[in-house]
Amino acid sequence: MSATPENPTAQRQAQLDADFEQRQAHAMAMGGSRKLDRRREQGVLNARERIDRLFDPGSFIESGLFATSAVPVDSSSTPTDGKVAGFGRIQGRESAAVANDFTVMGASSGATNGRKIGHIKRVATQRGLPLVFLGESSGARMPDHMGSRGMGLLLGNDGAQYQRLREIPWASATLGLSYGSSSWYSVMSDFHVMRKGAVLAVSSSLLASMAVKEDVDPQELGGWKLHAEVTGFADLVVDSDEEAIDAIKRFLSYLPGHHQEAPPVASVLAGSGQGMADILKFLPANRSQVYDVRQIIRTLVDTDSFFELKARFGRVGVTGLARLGGRTVGIVANNPLYKGGALDTDACEKITSFLVLCDSFNIPIVMLVDTPGFVIGTEAERRRAPGKIMNFMNALSLVTVPKLSLVLRKSYGQAYLNMGGGRNSDEFAGWPTAEISFMDPQFAVKVVHGLSPGEPGFETAQAEMDKASSVWDIASVYAMQSVVRPQDSREYLIRMLDVHELRLSRGVGKHLMQAWPTSY
Amino acid sequence: MAATKLLSEVTGSVWEITTQVGQKLAPGDTVMVLESMKMEIPVLCEDGGTLTEILVAKGDSVAEGQLLAVIAT
Repeated sequence: MSATPENPTAQRQAQLDADFEQRQAHAMAMGGSRKLDRRREQGVLNARERIDRLFDPGSFIESGLFATSAVPVDSSSTPTDGKVAGFGRIQGRESAAVANDFTVMGASSGATNGRKIGHIKRVATQRGLPLVFLGESSGARMPDHMGSRGMGLLLGNDGAQYQRLREIPWASATLGLSYGSSSWYSVMSDFHVMRKGAVLAVSSSLLASMAVKEDVDPQELGGWKLHAEVTGFADLVVDSDEEAIDAIKRFLSYLPGHHQEAPPVASVLAGSGQGMADILKFLPANRSQVYDVRQIIRTLVDTDSFFELKARFGRVGVTGLARLGGRTVGIVANNPLYKGGALDTDACEKITSFLVLCDSFNIPIVMLVDTPGFVIGTEAERRRAPGKIMNFMNALSLVTVPKLSLVLRKSYGQAYLNMGGGRNSDEFAGWPTAEISFMDPQFAVKVVHGLSPGEPGFETAQAEMDKASSVWDIASVYAMQSVVRPQDSREYLIRMLDVHELRLSRGVGKHLMQAWPTSY
Repeated sequence: MAATKLLSEVTGSVWEITTQVGQKLAPGDTVMVLESMKMEIPVLCEDGGTLTEILVAKGDSVAEGQLLAVIAT
């Protein structure tokens, strides 16, 4: 159809198209070529490139392309009002995303983009779509928020803005300077990846420096090391934007689209289970020697399927998603490589939040146990160990997805309960190398007999204690259902996941912790 | 050149020092071994670098958070 006087419809359409395309080009130009070029030179993707990387090619349908600042003087200089939003498919599944465009007023929060986020969140929640936040924002837009009128118009008009009921998975990335709501959404997410060099904090280092009257280094204020090792807010740290977005896609691949369905089932990669014949080699024969439990996990689960979360935080506890026979599982393990496997308060928090994640999204839990107990002492008490231990215990007892516990070596005291001992798991099993008691036999000899190593009678007393701690005694009273040879463990876990499938509710748990805090 | 401080993550004693000042370390190398809770617990060099200082000796008691060694990265 060509635009000629003889064809008035074509003419009208051509005019409309020209106007549309001009407006579209203006919106797509974001904050202008100078800012975009500078990002490119720094090796950092812009908001639209990030969206392209996230969604399957051609699947993105934008929401709010023509939105701009509600302040008239800013309307022509604020394409999309600094937040690119919409829907698209991630590995074939419909999803939703908001990507902050830092080139437009630092992607600061304004009235229009607040409505955009609200709409995307609402649709995702009501229709059951995973939601992705790509964060990089200077925080609240100034001067829009100043004064009581600014506050009244811009903040607090959505009482559910920061409510988290875990109906849908949230995944987020911090890909630059991130303050205010961008930080809030990241720490509320089920998964949060940080790019090195990015900063996540309440407010900027400049504002923090003004408040405390000293220079605040942005990396110390909210860099990746802080969030990977101290706060635990970063589930993963990567070097580039591309890796961050790929990590989000990988995380979501383990999860259902929403909480009322079971996680997707993947095909089992070739080579899965290959190392099982000699998996025992990873467990030292000497009980006082440590090892990295992640070698055992990687051997047990499907090839390359172990996706560790918070690897540098609370490292005594390992948490991660994986697949067993193609099915998503959440792995919780003690790692004797750190602190000999003695659970500290950071590990308690980390495991608790992971149990909440798994239970909220119908992911069965596999616990691998080798812990001499909880870290005790004055420092642990100052860090509120009793509260953290009971949060963990309470979470475990509220889990309604299948939970399998397998003792590799030590399981002592209260930690025996926290790691699924007895009826705190649906199936409680142990390797023949398992030792279970109220405390380590060496300590028990001291407490019961008053004997220390080297004293007459110590060795006889310890030999008795060792025997009494063996796996066979607990199996004989059926407080442990199965003794499993190390090489049979993968097959055992896969079969037990079959047995315990939530058939009566089509794989969906009760989500008793859906409103639990997102950090502690 | 940045310095990474290796702190003790446990209260215990120094079981064995397996490295020397000046030694180059790869990520994940063991710098020394501590004993705590009847376990031999390695102190690992997370990111690699050159060992510039060792502040404890075999048999010393160490507290959680105590500085054990410094690595230049």
